[in-house]
Amino acid sequence: MKWFKQIFSRRRFYGDLSEEIQGHLEEKVEELVGNGMSRRGAESAARREFGNVTLMKEKSRDVWRWSFMENLLSDVRYGVRILLGNPGFSIVAILTIALGIGANTAIFSVVYAALIRPLPYSQPERLLTLTELRPKEGRASDADKQTWVSAYPDYLDWTRQCKSFQALAGFSGDGFVLHGAGEPEPLFAAQATVNFFSTLGVKPFLGRDFAAGEDIAAGPKVAILSYGSWIRRFGGDPHILGRSIQLDDKSVSIIGVLPPTFEFAPRGNAELWVPLHIEKDLVTRRSLRWMPVIGRLAEGSTQGQAQAEMNSITANLAAAYPQENGAIRAVLVPLRDRIVGQVQPLLLILFGAVGFVLLIACANVMNLFLVRTAGRRREFNIRAALGASRGRLISQLLAESLILAAAGGVLGLILAEWGTSLLIAAIPDTLLASAPFLRDAHTNLAVLAFLCVAVIFTGIAFGLAPALQISRGQECEALKEETRASAGGVRTRLRGVLVVAEIAFSLVLLIGSGLMVKSLTALLSRDPGFDTKSLLTFSVNLPPTTYPKDPDAIRFDKEFTDRLRALPGVAGVASNSVVPLTGGGASIRFVIEGQPVAKGHENECNIRDVSNNYFPVMKIPLRAGRLFDDSTDSSTVPQHVIVNEAWAKQYLHGQDPIGKRIKFTYSPKENYREIVGVVGNTADTGLDSPEESSLFLPFTQDTNSFINYVVRTAGDPKNAMGEVRASLHAVDPQLVLIQPFTMDQIIAQSPSVFLRRYPSYLIGSFAALALILAMIGLYGLVSYSVSQRTRELGIRIALGAQQKNVMRLVLGEGARLTVLGVVFGLLAALGLTQLMRSLLFGVSALDAVTFASVAVVLAVVAVIACCIPARRAMRTDPAAALRYE
Amino acid sequence: MKNNEHRDLFPGALEMMILRTLKRQPLHGYALAQYIKRTSNDLLQIEEGSLYPALQRLLKAELVKAEWGISSTNRRVRIYKPTAAGAKHLEREVSRFERMLKGITRVLARGES
Repeated sequence: MKWFKQIFSRRRFYGDLSEEIQGHLEEKVEELVGNGMSRRGAESAARREFGNVTLMKEKSRDVWRWSFMENLLSDVRYGVRILLGNPGFSIVAILTIALGIGANTAIFSVVYAALIRPLPYSQPERLLTLTELRPKEGRASDADKQTWVSAYPDYLDWTRQCKSFQALAGFSGDGFVLHGAGEPEPLFAAQATVNFFSTLGVKPFLGRDFAAGEDIAAGPKVAILSYGSWIRRFGGDPHILGRSIQLDDKSVSIIGVLPPTFEFAPRGNAELWVPLHIEKDLVTRRSLRWMPVIGRLAEGSTQGQAQAEMNSITANLAAAYPQENGAIRAVLVPLRDRIVGQVQPLLLILFGAVGFVLLIACANVMNLFLVRTAGRRREFNIRAALGASRGRLISQLLAESLILAAAGGVLGLILAEWGTSLLIAAIPDTLLASAPFLRDAHTNLAVLAFLCVAVIFTGIAFGLAPALQISRGQECEALKEETRASAGGVRTRLRGVLVVAEIAFSLVLLIGSGLMVKSLTALLSRDPGFDTKSLLTFSVNLPPTTYPKDPDAIRFDKEFTDRLRALPGVAGVASNSVVPLTGGGASIRFVIEGQPVAKGHENECNIRDVSNNYFPVMKIPLRAGRLFDDSTDSSTVPQHVIVNEAWAKQYLHGQDPIGKRIKFTYSPKENYREIVGVVGNTADTGLDSPEESSLFLPFTQDTNSFINYVVRTAGDPKNAMGEVRASLHAVDPQLVLIQPFTMDQIIAQSPSVFLRRYPSYLIGSFAALALILAMIGLYGLVSYSVSQRTRELGIRIALGAQQKNVMRLVLGEGARLTVLGVVFGLLAALGLTQLMRSLLFGVSALDAVTFASVAVVLAVVAVIACCIPARRAMRTDPAAALRYE
Repeated sequence: MKNNEHRDLFPGALEMMILRTLKRQPLHGYALAQYIKRTSNDLLQIEEGSLYPALQRLLKAELVKAEWGISSTNRRVRIYKPTAAGAKHLEREVSRFERMLKGITRVLARGES
């Protein structure tokens, strides 16, 4: 407690010290006067012999205090005073930093929520995903990354044989119509094997987990609610357990509620979870691959070991079931990569881009700081002469820059809060559902820690260079009035370097945003193969109790579509098992007559069930042959198929497809079917999807209880929605429209468009900000150098220099910096744009037009920024300039 | 200009001399300064002021203690005297210094011959 007592008795100590030193000097003076010296002489002699009184006092006090902290405090106090005394400078600096730090913190909040924060499961790093892959010709490897399916019988074999996993669990999407009070409502759900939550290590918040034996049964009997739907739909009712709800035509009992932190991105929109309830075909057929599987590594085993074990299990299965598993590989991917894989490159690019903005902001403030420090040279020289050490001067300047950075950080935090919610709000709901972790992007401890690091980095970054420069100042010149400052010297060179760097960074950002905008334009102008205007899509799910057999579904389809066609606003109605641009859909293996292949190694392509009028309604062109028609393609004669151009090109290599016959291999009972028509390609998974080979069957021969309709409307498709809903209600009041969207909405919300539009806007705004900052920097430097060279310019004009010569002189300086910045920027962009290749569409990462046009635009803006000080220089009045000295 | 108490002396030398002087007789700051100056025959360049930071260091380490009293010239002064710890510290420092000096002298002597 000694130090504690000292702090409080210090004031008395200081008083004692002053009195003591005063006494010392008086005693000395008296003695010298006693020796016959004049009082004045004695006083100065006493001081000379004593040394620097103030310094000695300070040093004596330093002994007693925690000098580092206290110096800092006094530096801060002084710094605040100085900064308040120069509000213009302070406001500009704080705003610049706040923008830089705010933008960085906002992006970091999102990056943290998506990439850094561990998934909300126990030991999430031990969770892997398993998928069965079958090499398919003509598929991009990107499509393989999206594949996450396996056959249920294979999953059972893995569970029995694989020792590297503590548990394997499967899940799938699901959907119900919730009946209760009021209108029936569609509900997104998910189904999973009973060990799904225990594999993730998630325990229900209320109630219990699924129990063994509750799955595979016909229809779910129990359900676990997500926390959100418990609150939203059931008002957080504490007595919810045991309550029954009506899902489709089944009564289901609620057995649990998931914790509020639970999220599972692959089924992010699921409001409730039910045990796996699948039909017999899916349970028993190895050729149907539909279930994503997750696995938790057993204690002590690694992904490598698990992969090796899975390889040998897969080889055994391939030998046992050559037809189904002949060409199958099992691939393990960490769950985390599956979940954040798609957003990771986007977020890292945005983080990099926004980092550039902060660097530019730092450079700009550093520039301001250098100018201001140069103006305060005298003050620092005087302080040095009075005994301030170099360290003290540096710490004073650093204190000032850190105060500015901290103020910028506080303001930046507010901006970041706002920016983060803006960043999240700009993500379409359907995409946010598949990335639920992004909803949690907000300020937390990690974000605050990042902010603090950013503040300290910023403060030191722009404070250190001026601090080192000022402390290097020569003491011998200390008190000389500084006049006739020349524009030369280290300080201006450093400022030039900063401006060049700013220009280079902003050029990189401008090129990045140029490439993104070009990608977005290319994507939006891509022809998806059908007419997207005035098109409405939705789905209908037919419950098995009301529609047990295929003819029931066909009857419903006929009645419903007849009703729709009678509507005045409807120009056409059709159906397809997959709506173009929304992804998903089944694939099938086939052989072409006369082209034998080894068992299990047949070709595989997309298969779609379409209504007979699908192609005309979608305005997909018929390239050869004919379409399905009601007379020859009835439900009883499965003998015709239609293929798309990509299919014909890939499998028939230029031969005429019409009349060729193919056979599906999933069942030995299948007969050859004849190709009767070839239609144009459509983009199936998104506007950026590659052209995939597809086969089409008539809907009446391959009916499904889940039907996707497309309605071509006469006017705005949004207006037709009400009439369509009323028609459905008239046919069967228990049915609801599932996911009713216009095609334009689907495009706007699609990941392919989002992945280009979002970075286009963001990198675009960062680039605009960077450009403004860089131009302010350039303008500031040129203006300063003009003001420093007033005398020189005056002399030149007095000696007969023309206005245009002066103009050229000043512009030349700006132009030199700009050219250097552009050259460095172009070089950096050559490398850096490679990193964003995965986001680009229809444009090369080295697109010469973008590079050149952006460089020209930047150069023009730079010349304009230099023109203002150049005009001022031109109008220099030589007489005034010379008199000024 | 700065760091003058260290310009001619090694760190701790001034404290050692102060302790030695005060052990002989408790003194106040001015008297202490005059004594050290006189005794060293002005060989050492010590600014009188530099005594005070050194005295504060000794006070803080509780090697000396100070009391207000009245000097021979009848002024209110702070009189310093070493504590027991100070006396012990002095002995240790002096023997260390002597060893060091002996070492330095040997090297210097060898260099001359």
